Amino acid sequence: MAARALLSGAGRALLPARALLPARALPAGPGPCPRRGCGEAAALRAAGFSQEQARRLLALQPRLGPEQREAAAAQLLLLGLSAEAALALLERSPALLRLPTERLRERAEELRRLGLDGGRLERAVRRSPQLLHVPRKRLRAAVRLLRERCLFTAEQLREVLGTCPAVLQEEPRTLHHQFQYAYFRMGVQQKEMVKARLFQTPFAELRNRHIFLERRGLYETPHKGQTQISNPKLKDILQLPEEDFLASLAYSTPEEYEVFKKLLAREEEEKEEEDVDALYAEDDDDLDSGGSETARE
Amino acid sequence: MQIQTFIIWAATAPRIPSTRLALHHFDTSYSLRLGALRPSVRAGLLCEQKYGALLNNFAAADHVPQELEPLNAADFVSEASQKAQQWQRGAAVGAAARGCQEGSGEGRTVMQAEMMAQAEMMAQAEMSPPLGASISSKIKCYTFPRGDITRFRPARPDSLGLLDYYLMDAASLLPVLALNVQPGDFVLDLCAAPGGKTLALLQTGFCGHLAANDISISRTKRLYQILHSYVPREVRDTVSVTSYDGRDWDQVKGGTFHKGAGAGSLLLQVLVDVPCTTDRHSATEEDNNIFHKRRTKERQMLPMLQLQLLMAGILAAKPGAEVVYSTCSLSPLQNECVVERALDIAEAQFNISIHVEDLSHFRTLFQDTFSFFSDCRLGELVLPHLTANFGPMYFCKLRRM
Repeated sequence: MAARALLSGAGRALLPARALLPARALPAGPGPCPRRGCGEAAALRAAGFSQEQARRLLALQPRLGPEQREAAAAQLLLLGLSAEAALALLERSPALLRLPTERLRERAEELRRLGLDGGRLERAVRRSPQLLHVPRKRLRAAVRLLRERCLFTAEQLREVLGTCPAVLQEEPRTLHHQFQYAYFRMGVQQKEMVKARLFQTPFAELRNRHIFLERRGLYETPHKGQTQISNPKLKDILQLPEEDFLASLAYSTPEEYEVFKKLLAREEEEKEEEDVDALYAEDDDDLDSGGSETARE
Repeated sequence: MQIQTFIIWAATAPRIPSTRLALHHFDTSYSLRLGALRPSVRAGLLCEQKYGALLNNFAAADHVPQELEPLNAADFVSEASQKAQQWQRGAAVGAAARGCQEGSGEGRTVMQAEMMAQAEMMAQAEMSPPLGASISSKIKCYTFPRGDITRFRPARPDSLGLLDYYLMDAASLLPVLALNVQPGDFVLDLCAAPGGKTLALLQTGFCGHLAANDISISRTKRLYQILHSYVPREVRDTVSVTSYDGRDWDQVKGGTFHKGAGAGSLLLQVLVDVPCTTDRHSATEEDNNIFHKRRTKERQMLPMLQLQLLMAGILAAKPGAEVVYSTCSLSPLQNECVVERALDIAEAQFNISIHVEDLSHFRTLFQDTFSFFSDCRLGELVLPHLTANFGPMYFCKLRRM
């Protein structure tokens, strides 16, 4: 049974290493087993888990009630995850077992409605187990932002969620900021953002690579859609490993880039301080004139 | 810039900022010259520049090395001086070795071989003996190592109120080191303000008399401030500050300057650090930017102004005297072209013969601190580079024959 699970999982990308461990030999007949575990293990096997997988499941959150465990595991299978994938997910994020089954079902339904179905959902959940914990409000806010403010099409949204499921966990403001940076500051359209998996890259890295290119004269913000030079594609900027990015896009060295990143970080830090000081300066105007002097040094 | 600010700017700004015009100008003018170096130079110009701390020999400043050395800062002038001395020793060793070990490879240590190789290189660069001496002049300037972006703390006054060091672009010291001021020399700094190089000249302790001139009265004020903050009265008395148009120098030479100089004195050293497009400033600061539309004429006339100032400097120098020309621009039109034109005019109109001194050994001596351009037709050019973000600084040394 374990072998079958292995084979059925072979078509999916990036099986966890655990899945490749040799399966233990099944007991020839009913052998000794812990009194507690026997009934549970049987239920899990009936749901579709192998003996070995059932054993691993039982090892998670041992104090959990059996119904809860079975229901959660079964729910994951219903979502279209393979037994091994469900198990791997639960091993990574055992807290999922505690979620009320109803919640789990609802969340998965929501995600499926957003276009994350079958394989995509599995991949997304595997990459970001936290996805199933995200409050519905946050899920919807993120989606609303991406569709209504950033103007991604439904198809593009599906693609974004499939490749960067973590967007659903982000603060909408952060997402929006990153989008606006790519759209206005870099002049990149939604289609290219999707291809480049924009939201997979942390904002600081996006900015480092972009500004490095820009200051070297190798990237230009389009003015009225035009540029004097031909900008490298966002996909290449973000997806190339650092040394390839430096060698083939930036024509630079790791040494130079290291110094640049430090300088830029310092610039940003000081800019923020300036902005904060300016904020306080504004506040000062509101202070009662007869009152305290702020120590604004 | 914040995204929101950028969006507003992009939507409403009616005119193009001068910095953008400057950058565009540099991109088009310098791309051919710099070739593959351009991206690095451009990034250097647009990022925070690196400073050096010129020690004030007139202040009680012994604490400064103690403070800076644990932070990995080092006096790049003394390091170069040590290098130069090693080469001179190597050259002597090499000469001896060549003399008595012709053809035999025996007995030569790796170090000897290396010193010989470097000595050969120096010989080819026509290094003159005074080089070691000039590099070991009393100028001391601390910098942090390549790739280290630590900043210096602000200068502090000693018990007499003199500041312990002066923060400046370390590359600005190279023209002063090239001038190689010897004890008792008379020195003319034709465009002295705001005064960093003037201060460096005084740090050598060798200026018998220094004439610091600048056409701009407001910038000359800054020069006075520097003199008062760094230099004690008895040394200030050896400096005459004037506000003439440098181009008219030969007309004033009968005046104040020579009054204090005494009979038979010669003007031996001239520094002509001309106004230029100040590339780094123009690429980053809007204020007072020479690429602003209203200064177009002024900017276009710069090479002519620079040429006239250099000619005035050459004419002020007597036979045997040295003139160093410097700018803080990357532009060949303001650098080599001006010098070449001046050489022609000096020859053709004034019958003055001028020798261009080879400063290529500077590139080797200072390569650990600065990034040099290797293809100047004459003179040397320090390029901004993120790991050594000094410059731009062009300098060329002439000797009047």
